[in-house]
Amino acid sequence: MTAVIQIEGLRKTFRTMRGGARVALNGFDMTVEAGQVHGFLGPNGSGKTTTLRTLLGLVRADGGHMSILGQPAPGALPEVAPRVGAIVESPQFFGNFTGRRTLRLLARAGGVPAERVEAVLTQVGLRHRGDERVKAYSLGMKQRLAVASALLKQPELLILDEPANGLDPAGIREMRDLMRELSAAGITVLVSSHILGEIQLICDHVTIISRGQRVATGPVSAVLSGFDKGEYRVRVTDLARAAEVLANAGLPVRKEEDHLVVADVGDSAWITEQLGQRGMWVSELTPLTPDLESVFLQLTGTMPEPGAPKQVDEAVKSGPIDLGEQP
Amino acid sequence: MNLVLAELSRLAARRFVQLMAVLLIAAFGVTVATTVAGSHRPTTAEWDQAEQEVQLAEVRLEQLRRECEQREVSATFCDAYLERQPRIEDYLFGVFVFSQEIDELTYFMIAFLALFAFLVAASFVGAELTSGGMTNLLLWRPQRLTVLGTKLGTVLAAVLALSVVASVLYIGAFYAISEVTGVPGALDGEFWADIALTVARGLGLVLFAAAVGFGAATIGRHTAAALGLIATYSIVWEIGARIVFEVVEAGRPDQYMLSSYIGAWMDGDVSFYDRYVNDQYELTWVHAAAVFAITLAVIVGGAFATFRHRDLA
Repeated sequence: MTAVIQIEGLRKTFRTMRGGARVALNGFDMTVEAGQVHGFLGPNGSGKTTTLRTLLGLVRADGGHMSILGQPAPGALPEVAPRVGAIVESPQFFGNFTGRRTLRLLARAGGVPAERVEAVLTQVGLRHRGDERVKAYSLGMKQRLAVASALLKQPELLILDEPANGLDPAGIREMRDLMRELSAAGITVLVSSHILGEIQLICDHVTIISRGQRVATGPVSAVLSGFDKGEYRVRVTDLARAAEVLANAGLPVRKEEDHLVVADVGDSAWITEQLGQRGMWVSELTPLTPDLESVFLQLTGTMPEPGAPKQVDEAVKSGPIDLGEQP
Repeated sequence: MNLVLAELSRLAARRFVQLMAVLLIAAFGVTVATTVAGSHRPTTAEWDQAEQEVQLAEVRLEQLRRECEQREVSATFCDAYLERQPRIEDYLFGVFVFSQEIDELTYFMIAFLALFAFLVAASFVGAELTSGGMTNLLLWRPQRLTVLGTKLGTVLAAVLALSVVASVLYIGAFYAISEVTGVPGALDGEFWADIALTVARGLGLVLFAAAVGFGAATIGRHTAAALGLIATYSIVWEIGARIVFEVVEAGRPDQYMLSSYIGAWMDGDVSFYDRYVNDQYELTWVHAAAVFAITLAVIVGGAFATFRHRDLA
C-alpha cells in the first residue's frame, strides 16, 4: 500500500508572549494508506486540529517529518494542493455571497472548471439552495457548503475536520453515505470526529491521539479486538447460584443488578451447558464486544466518573501503542 | 489573474466597503449641496462693485509698494506687493469661486479618501484573518506571500481606481457649480497643473494610508489593530510626545511628527520655526517621501515577514 499521508515524530509547542508554553504535539506519528477511510480521534485539546493544520501548512512544526501524496509537506504543498481537498474546523464563508457564488470564486481562484460547482452542489444536497446567501444557511448547510468546497477539486485525498458538526440526523447519514461513495471512487479520506459511532460505521482504519501522542492505530476491527475480553452478559433467574457455578468452573464472574458478566469465555455454548445441567435456563447470553467509544475513553483516560468531571488536560499521556497495524 | 478577480469580487461584496462607499458619496454630496446652497450667480451690481474694489485695491497696493521702496534698500523685497494682483473674484461675496476654493475642497476630499482607504484596506485583511477566510483561501493556494501580496495589490488598485474616479467627479462637480451658480475664476494652465499635482500627491497619500492600514491589520491579525495603531500614535506621539518635547525644550519637535511630513508631501514643502535657536527650517516632499518609504518598509515589510511564518488559527 502507498502512504498518502505520512507523519513521523511531529512536534509542536505553542508559546505565549509571557513565556508560557503548551506542548500540542509530542512526537506524533500517523500513516494513512491510499484508499483508506481513516478516522482520527482524540479528546478536546489532544492535538487533532493542530496535526491537520500543520499538515496543511497553516501551523509551523517544531520538528518531525510529513508528506502528502508522496511529496514533503509543507514544502511541496503548492504542487499537491490541487489534489487535496480539506476543511479544517468550521470554515467561514462570506455571509453576503450565495453558496453558488462562494464556490465559483473558489473554483476561479483554484483554476477549477466552473461546471464542477453544480456537480458538488448536487453532491452535498445544496443544488436548490445555492442561490441563497450563506448567512441565511443553517450550521448544517454551511457544513455541507464546506464539504462542497473541499470536493470542488475532485481531490485524491480528502481531509475533513469534524464534518458532521451541526448536521441533523439525516445530514449525518448523508455525510456517511457520501464518504462511502468517495471511498468507493478511490478517494482516500482522513476524517476527524467526536461522533465515535459514526467513525466506527464509516472508517476502516483509525488513529487515536491523546496529549499530542499516538495511543492507538490500526484497522478499526483490530483496535476493538485488542480490548475484547471475551465477556458475556448472562441472564438467569437465580443469579447467585449461577455465579457460584461459573466461578467454581474458574471463570471471572461479576454480578450486576439483574445479570452476570462472565469473562474469558471461550465457547458460549459451554455456559448454557453448565447452567442447563443444573436446571438453570439461560434467558440471555450476549457477547459484550467493545465499541469504539469505550475503547476511546479507556485509551485516552477520559471515561467520565460520577461527581468527578474530567478536565481537558487529564487525558492519558502514554507512549504510542500499536494495536494491530496491518502488515 | 484568477486570484486577483476573486479578491476583487470579495472586496466589492464586503458590506463594510459598500457602507464606506455610501458614506464617501454622502460626504461629497453634502459638500456639493452646501456649496450650491451657499452660492449664487453675481448680479451686475455686484460685478460693478467688485470692479471698483479691485481698482481701489490696486491703488492701495501701489502706494504700499512705493512706501516700502522708500524704507527698504532692496526693491526686490517690495515687489512682493505685486506678486498677486487683486482679482475681481476676491470681492464677490456669497459666490463660489472655483479657482479660489477648489484647493481646500480637494484637501478635504483627499483626507476623506485617505480615511476610506485606511479603513477599507485594514478591514479587507483584518476581517479575513479573524473569520478564517484567509485560512480557507490558503487551503486552496498554499502560497502565503502570493496570497497576501495579491490581496494588498488588489485593494491598492481598487482604492486608486476609486480615488481617481472620485477626484474627477468631485472636481468636475465643483467646476460645473461654478459655471452654473458661481464664478470659475482665473483658470490658466498653471492652475490646472497645480490642481493636478495636488491630486497626484493626494493619491499617493491615499495609497500610503491604505498600505499602512493593511500592514497594521495583518501584523495585529485584526482590523482593530490598525485602528489601535492610529489612535495610539495620535495620542501618544502626536499629542503626548509633543507635550514632552515642549517640557524638555527639545528643538524642532515637528520634524519627528508624521503629520509634518504629510503636510510637506501635500504642499511640496513646509517651514517650521525653531524658537530655541531662533531659526526656520524646512521639510520638503523629498523628506516626506523618505519618511513614507521607511514607514512602509517597517509596517508592510513587517506584515509580510510575520505572515510568512506565523501560525494561522
